[in-house]
Amino acid sequence: MGRQVAIVSAGYSEHASKRSDVNMAELVSEAVEDCLKKVPSVGFEDIDAYVNGNMPAFEGSNLPELWMTDWMGARNKPLIRVTTGGTTGGTVAIAGYYTVTAGLPGIDTVLAIAFEQQSQGDTSVGLASVAYGELSVLNTLGMSYEHLTRLLSAGAAIGVASYQATNYMRKSKITEEDLARVVVQNRHNAAKTWWAHLKMPNLTIEEVLDTPYISYPLRYGMVCPASDGACAVLFTTEEKAKDMCDIPVYVNGVASVAHESAVLGYDGSGSGQIDPSEQLGAMRSSELAYSQAGISMPRKEIDYAEVYAPFPNQELMWVEKLGLFEETTAPQMYENGVTGLKGELPICCSGGVNSTNAIGASALERPAEAALQIMGKASNQVPKSVHTAIGHGWGGSLNLCTMLVMADEPQRKWR
Amino acid sequence: MSKLTQRKSLEYVKKDYVRTRTMPASWYLASYKYKYNLTHMQPFLEKLKNKKLIGLQCSGCNRVFFPPRLVCGKCLVKPDRWVDLRETGKVATYTVAYLKDTETGEILERPVVLVQQDGADTASMAQLSPEIDFKDTYIGMPIKVHWVENPTGGLMDIEYYDLVEDDAKDLDLRKE
Amino acid sequence: MQRVGIVGYNQVKLYSDANYGRYEMIFEAVRGAIDSAGLKKKDITTVISCTNDYYEGRTISNCFTVEVGGGYMADESKVEMDGAHAVLYGLMRILSGNHKLAVIWGGSMASCFPYHSARLYETDPTWERPVAYVNDISSAGFQMRAYLQKYGVNNEDIAKIAVKNRKNASKNPLALEEAKNPNITIKDVLESGIYADPVTELMVAQPCDGVAALLLAPEKQALKITDNPVWITGVGYSQDTYYLGDRDLSGSKSMEVASKMAFNAAGIKDPKSEINVAELFEAYAHEEIIFSEAIGFAEKGKGAELNTEIDGEIPINPSGGAIGGNPPCGTGLIRIIEAAKQLRGEANGYQVKNARKAIASGQIGMCAQNNILFVLEGGN
Repeated sequence: MGRQVAIVSAGYSEHASKRSDVNMAELVSEAVEDCLKKVPSVGFEDIDAYVNGNMPAFEGSNLPELWMTDWMGARNKPLIRVTTGGTTGGTVAIAGYYTVTAGLPGIDTVLAIAFEQQSQGDTSVGLASVAYGELSVLNTLGMSYEHLTRLLSAGAAIGVASYQATNYMRKSKITEEDLARVVVQNRHNAAKTWWAHLKMPNLTIEEVLDTPYISYPLRYGMVCPASDGACAVLFTTEEKAKDMCDIPVYVNGVASVAHESAVLGYDGSGSGQIDPSEQLGAMRSSELAYSQAGISMPRKEIDYAEVYAPFPNQELMWVEKLGLFEETTAPQMYENGVTGLKGELPICCSGGVNSTNAIGASALERPAEAALQIMGKASNQVPKSVHTAIGHGWGGSLNLCTMLVMADEPQRKWR
Repeated sequence: MSKLTQRKSLEYVKKDYVRTRTMPASWYLASYKYKYNLTHMQPFLEKLKNKKLIGLQCSGCNRVFFPPRLVCGKCLVKPDRWVDLRETGKVATYTVAYLKDTETGEILERPVVLVQQDGADTASMAQLSPEIDFKDTYIGMPIKVHWVENPTGGLMDIEYYDLVEDDAKDLDLRKE
Repeated sequence: MQRVGIVGYNQVKLYSDANYGRYEMIFEAVRGAIDSAGLKKKDITTVISCTNDYYEGRTISNCFTVEVGGGYMADESKVEMDGAHAVLYGLMRILSGNHKLAVIWGGSMASCFPYHSARLYETDPTWERPVAYVNDISSAGFQMRAYLQKYGVNNEDIAKIAVKNRKNASKNPLALEEAKNPNITIKDVLESGIYADPVTELMVAQPCDGVAALLLAPEKQALKITDNPVWITGVGYSQDTYYLGDRDLSGSKSMEVASKMAFNAAGIKDPKSEINVAELFEAYAHEEIIFSEAIGFAEKGKGAELNTEIDGEIPINPSGGAIGGNPPCGTGLIRIIEAAKQLRGEANGYQVKNARKAIASGQIGMCAQNNILFVLEGGN
C-alpha cells in the first residue's frame, strides 16, 4: 500500500520576539533556505509538492500561502494548506508524510513549511477568539457579561492549560522547585541552540522563583515567550533519501487523535473531559503511533523525545502520558539528570516550546529537532547515539494532539 | 544554472535594512454572526425556573450531559432521554481569574470552578459562594446548588455553589 | 495509482440564510453520509474537515466540531482551502494504508460573515490591501476582460453559460432557490447590475450556507460497503503565482498543470472523447470557458462554441455548477458529489445518459490561483 517515508533535512529561521526586519514571506524563505542548505544535491526543481500551515488568527492574513507562493518556490507546483491551531506544525508534518506515502504519480519529495509571525497581531485576542462562538451561546442562555469576562480571563495568559495544571499537581504533588528545575534545564539547552528565542545560559532556580505569579502556581519566569519564526522539513521516499543525505530518518508512526474539548463544550454545553490532565486522545495517539512503529516499551526503546510543553507542569505531565516515564515519577527524573543532555532519555535539548514558541511552527519544530538529533546535525547534539525519537504536539481546547515516531531504520511491520 | 549558482542567488540583500514596511489592519469580529440551536435546551431551562435540575442522556452510551448537548460525539446520535439530577456535585477542576475592579482599580482574584453534578458526565462552569476561601478549594470538594430568589429560566438561576455540610465520621474528605 | 472508492455522500440543501445552527448542519451532512452507506460511527477511522478561520469568525475552527463531525477519538485534521482539497487529503490517507474509512466534510455559512471583507484578507497586506484595487471582485472583471480582448469573444457568449447553469440549477433540488431561474434569458443576465465590469451580477456564483460530507474507502472495503462505488482514478493539483500581473489571465496555467497531472494518473489521452460529464467549480461564468479550454475540451478561444448542455457533446455542470450555490469551503466537495451522482445514476432530473467517466474540480484564490481536478469512474 503506502511507501516508507524519510526526512532528509530540517531548517529554521531565526526566532525572536519581534522579527521586524522581515515580513511573513521572507521569514518562510529563510527557513526554506536553511533546510535546502543542508542537502546540496536538492534544488527547487527536485521538490514535487508543498504543504504549508500556520495559525491565521495572529497575522490578520487569510490563506497567506497564496501570497507567498514564490517565496517558497511553489510556482506551478502542487500545494495544500493544513491548519489546526496549536498543533498546526504537527499536522503539517503528518500531511507531508501522507503526501509522500500515498504515492501519487510524480510526487516523491515534499517540503513541509510551518510558520508564525505573532508580533504582527495580538496573541491573546487571537487565542481567545476560539471560544467566542461558544461563549455567545452562554450569554443567550442567561449568563451575564460579567461572568463571561471572568470565564474568558480565567487562567490569564495560560488559558485552559491552567485547569490542567491544577489536576496534574493534585495527582503528583510537585513543588515549585520542580517546575523551576524544568525551566532552567530548557533555558540552558536553548542557549546552545542557534535558532531559539530565550537563551539564558546562567539561569538559576532562585531567579525563576523570584518572579511574580501569573496564575498560581506558574510564575512569569516559567512560561513560554511569543516568538516569530518558521520551520521547514523535507520529506522524501526511502530510495531517494539515500542519495540526499547520510542518515535518512524514517517516519514510522503518525497519529493525531482528537477528543472532546475540555473546560467548554460546544454550543455552551459542559465539557466531557472531567479531568483535563487525563488526555485520552493523547494516550490513544501515542498508542497508535507506537504500534505503527513497532515500539512496545517506549521507556526503553526511545532515545530522545521532544514534547510540546509551553509550561513546565505540562512537560512533566506529557512525559508520563506518552509512556516515557511511570506516573508521578517525572519530577525525580529531572532531579536525577535522566532527562538532561547527557542523561539516558534527553528531553527537549533544543529548549522546547518553553524557550521558543511561534505557535504555528512549534509543533513542526519538535519532530524536526528530533530528526536532526538522529542525523547527528542538531545544534545542541546529545552525546549518545540516537536511534529512535518522537516529536509531539497538542492544541485546541486541550483536545487535539499529534505524534510522530521516527527512527534510523525503516519499519515495515505495520503494513 | 547549476544548483550551486542557484543557491547563491537566493542570498538576497536582507541585511541592508532593519525594518520592513508595515501597514495597520484589524479583524472585525463584531461583524460576524454565530448561529446555534437551542431547541434541545428548552426543557432544561423550563425546569431551572422551577428550581429543578435535569440532564440529557444518550441512549447509545448512557452518558448524561449537563447542560444538554446537541449531539453525542461517541455515538454520533442526538441524545433524547431526560433524567433528573440531584443538587449536589463535586469540584472537577478550578483556576483563578484576575479581574480589575472598575471602581477601586485593584486586581481581584476570583476562583473559577468546573462543577460535575452528581449523575452527570460533564463538567460546567460555575462560581463558588463568596464565603468559601479560594485557598480551601480542592478537587473533589462536595458542593450544592444555591438558587436565586426568583429564577427566570436561564443559567444564572444557579447563583453559586455552597459547601456541603458533612459531619459523617466515615467519610474521608482529604484536602489534596 | 490504486483505486479509492467514494462509498457515500450527503449534501445539505443550500440556503442563502439558513435557519440552522452551525453544528446541526454539520451533523446532518455527516450523519446522512454515514447512513447512506449503511455504516456506524465506530467504523470511522479518520475525519478531514474543511473550514476557514476567517469565514467562521473563530480561530481553530476544528476544535469544537470534533464531535459533530464524527471525529471523537478518530484521527482528525483540517485543510483550510476548498472542500476538494480536503478530499485530496482524505485520498492520501486512504492510499497510505493506515485507514479504512475516511469522512470528509466541509462548508460554511456565508450569511454569518462579511464575505468580501473576509476575502480581502487574502490580499498582500503591504501593497495591495491598503489601496484594495485588487480584490476578489475586481479580479473577476480583470480576468473576463482579458479573455474577451484576447479572443474577440463577446459578452453574450459568456452570458450563455450563466443562462445554462441557472436553468440546470432549477432541476437540482438541492441548489440555492435564488439560483433557480428556469426562464432566464441572455438579456436578463447582461442587464442585471454590474458586479465588476464586464461581469454582471447573474454571472457570479453567490456565496451561501451549506455543508456536504463524503466517505472514502480503499478498493477492497469499498466493494463490501456498496455495490455501486465510484472510483477516484486520478487527481492533479497545482498553484499558480500570486500577483495577477505575473499571470496570463486569459488562460489558467494552474488548471492546465493540474489536469495534465490528473489525466496522466488516470491514463486518459483524449479528454474530449473519453470524459462524459464535467462538474467544474466556476466562481464566475467566464471561468467555466477558461477551464474547459485549459482541460483540453476546446481550442484556446473556442471554448464558447462547445455545446455543454446536458445532452450536448460534453455536458458541463448539469447540476448548475457553483452558480447554483457556492458555500465557501464546500463547493469543490459538492462538485465531486454531483459528479459521483451522475456516475451512479442518482441525479434525478438532470442525469447525463451513460456517464462512465467524469471530472470534478475545485479552486481557491483570486482568479483560481490553486486548482484541483479529480477523475472519477463509474463502478461498471
